[in-house]
Amino acid sequence: MKKLIAVAVATAFTIPVQAQDKPAPPPAWHQGKPPAMGESKLAPHPGKMTETPAGEIPVNKLKVPAGFKVELWASGLPGARAMALSEDGKKVYVGTRVIGRVYEVTDEGSKRSVRVVADKLTQPAGVAYKDGALWVFAIDKVLKFDGIAKSGNDAKPEDLTAKFDLPKEQHHNWKYVAFGPDGKLYVPFGAPCNICEPPSKEYAQIRRYNADGSGKEVIATGVRNSVGFDWHPKTKELWFTDHGRDWAGDKGVEDELNKVSKPGGFYGFPYCHNHNTPDPDVKKPNPCEGVTKPVALLGAHAAGMGIKFYTGKMFPAEYQNTAFIARKGSWNREKPNGFDVVNVRIGDDGKAAIRPFMTGFNESKEAYKFWGRPAYIAQMPDGALLVSDEQVGAIYRVSYQKPKAPAKK
Amino acid sequence: MFSVLRKGRWAIALTAFFSSVVFSQDRVQLCAACHGPDGNSANPQVPSIAGQPKLFLENQLILFREELRRSEQMLPVVKGLKDPEVIKLAEHFSRLPAKGMETGPVNAAFMKSGYERAKALRCGICHLADFSGQNQIPRLAGQRESYLEAEMRAYRDGKRSGGDTIMAATLYGVSDADIKALAHFLSRSEPRRSR
Repeated sequence: MKKLIAVAVATAFTIPVQAQDKPAPPPAWHQGKPPAMGESKLAPHPGKMTETPAGEIPVNKLKVPAGFKVELWASGLPGARAMALSEDGKKVYVGTRVIGRVYEVTDEGSKRSVRVVADKLTQPAGVAYKDGALWVFAIDKVLKFDGIAKSGNDAKPEDLTAKFDLPKEQHHNWKYVAFGPDGKLYVPFGAPCNICEPPSKEYAQIRRYNADGSGKEVIATGVRNSVGFDWHPKTKELWFTDHGRDWAGDKGVEDELNKVSKPGGFYGFPYCHNHNTPDPDVKKPNPCEGVTKPVALLGAHAAGMGIKFYTGKMFPAEYQNTAFIARKGSWNREKPNGFDVVNVRIGDDGKAAIRPFMTGFNESKEAYKFWGRPAYIAQMPDGALLVSDEQVGAIYRVSYQKPKAPAKK
Repeated sequence: MFSVLRKGRWAIALTAFFSSVVFSQDRVQLCAACHGPDGNSANPQVPSIAGQPKLFLENQLILFREELRRSEQMLPVVKGLKDPEVIKLAEHFSRLPAKGMETGPVNAAFMKSGYERAKALRCGICHLADFSGQNQIPRLAGQRESYLEAEMRAYRDGKRSGGDTIMAATLYGVSDADIKALAHFLSRSEPRRSR
């Protein structure tokens, strides 16, 4: 009996000790919810993991400015997100989150074929292509596929995980990755919460590495969750989108468009948001001091994702060097925001003009009646844009044709 | 027979339709063998799938097929399953009426603490106030007690993967005793078909 009590006491003690290690955090997306919103039914929208047949994708509902045309370019890609193109644009590699796959879409001219080149991964959202090789970033794994375009279905990747020093928390650590003009691989590490002091300093930052994982360098800190970036064609500066925090109301703090003029800037998370908004929950004196302010705001909860500076020859000259940004659309807001692709131009005064470019994914301004969610943008060699849709697992092609001059009488 | 088939595309279309229905029925039988003929499981270790949200059933079948949610029992059954059939199976079982299958004695203390824990953890925000589930989120009301307990422990201990991180975060640090009480309370809540 004595022995039994001893065991019972020991067990009773081990539980609270474990619990004291770290207090139980609320679910990441739930964090920072004020008591007034305690019973709010707002929650992230469910994704779709089955193929949506081409005939069920209402591409005719998508609206673009006059002279532009949208076609369904590829489908049957559940969870399609970031796209990495081969040099000739004939192969497009597409990352996903929950379904754990990376697709290869081959352009066969009049049609596209699809194969799965990697699967069973934990949210392999990051894909980058260079010199014939594909880099795949899952939350907990980095794989490199040499000669991917010519490999069969049994391609054996090189596992580079150990070289990249990935932190263990999963939330906001699905990735967007890309090679910069400096040949370095840029990789974001989101904050593993909605709003918090990150548990260690390896989160809420963007890093760059050599392609083999060596030469790690932190180039931006205080970045909540960036899942899209590109380099300005003239200045070669890195511009990145960053999702604002949730549970700050419908007007909320807005998503941001930032730029890195020189490496090492602090972008405010978790203390300061947007141009000068202190966080209501995580406080410190002079929270906005020393913070690199955004170039533009992208809307409350709109989920600004992929960004692409346009450098092609196909679109009218006014689009040259402007940015296209896919806004996947809000969930933490009573009224929807985003669900579109916008065009962003920065004037000589540094002010941004944001105009809708591709709309119609959500069929109401007042309610959530969306059928698609645009996620990423890529530019094809001919200057057309590809836009991926994570909800229906598809890629659209947006092209432009100069209107014909009216016939002379 | 041959001449009839040759006569028109109708016959071919009908044959194709018929065989796909038969194939589907085979799969339904296969599911029913463990999950119960009406999708309400008589085996305490096996979950009931009747009246679960369609999207939840679709997602789980895909996660099993892609080996992201690992299960030795489910993998051979779903291997090679095509998406249209996943959707058909999910539709079929989501439409069947859910029944509570626990017949053992009700423990009043567990019922009380389970109710309180469910309230404190705000299970009802996503699973809805009557725990009938919605979209990708399962019905918990009337689910088998030992299954609920095993899955909640797996989430808490980082052993159930697939989907996202919400359940692991919700159950972080919740004690075995509380999980037991939650499972008891939820398994004895009145099941309703999900909306």
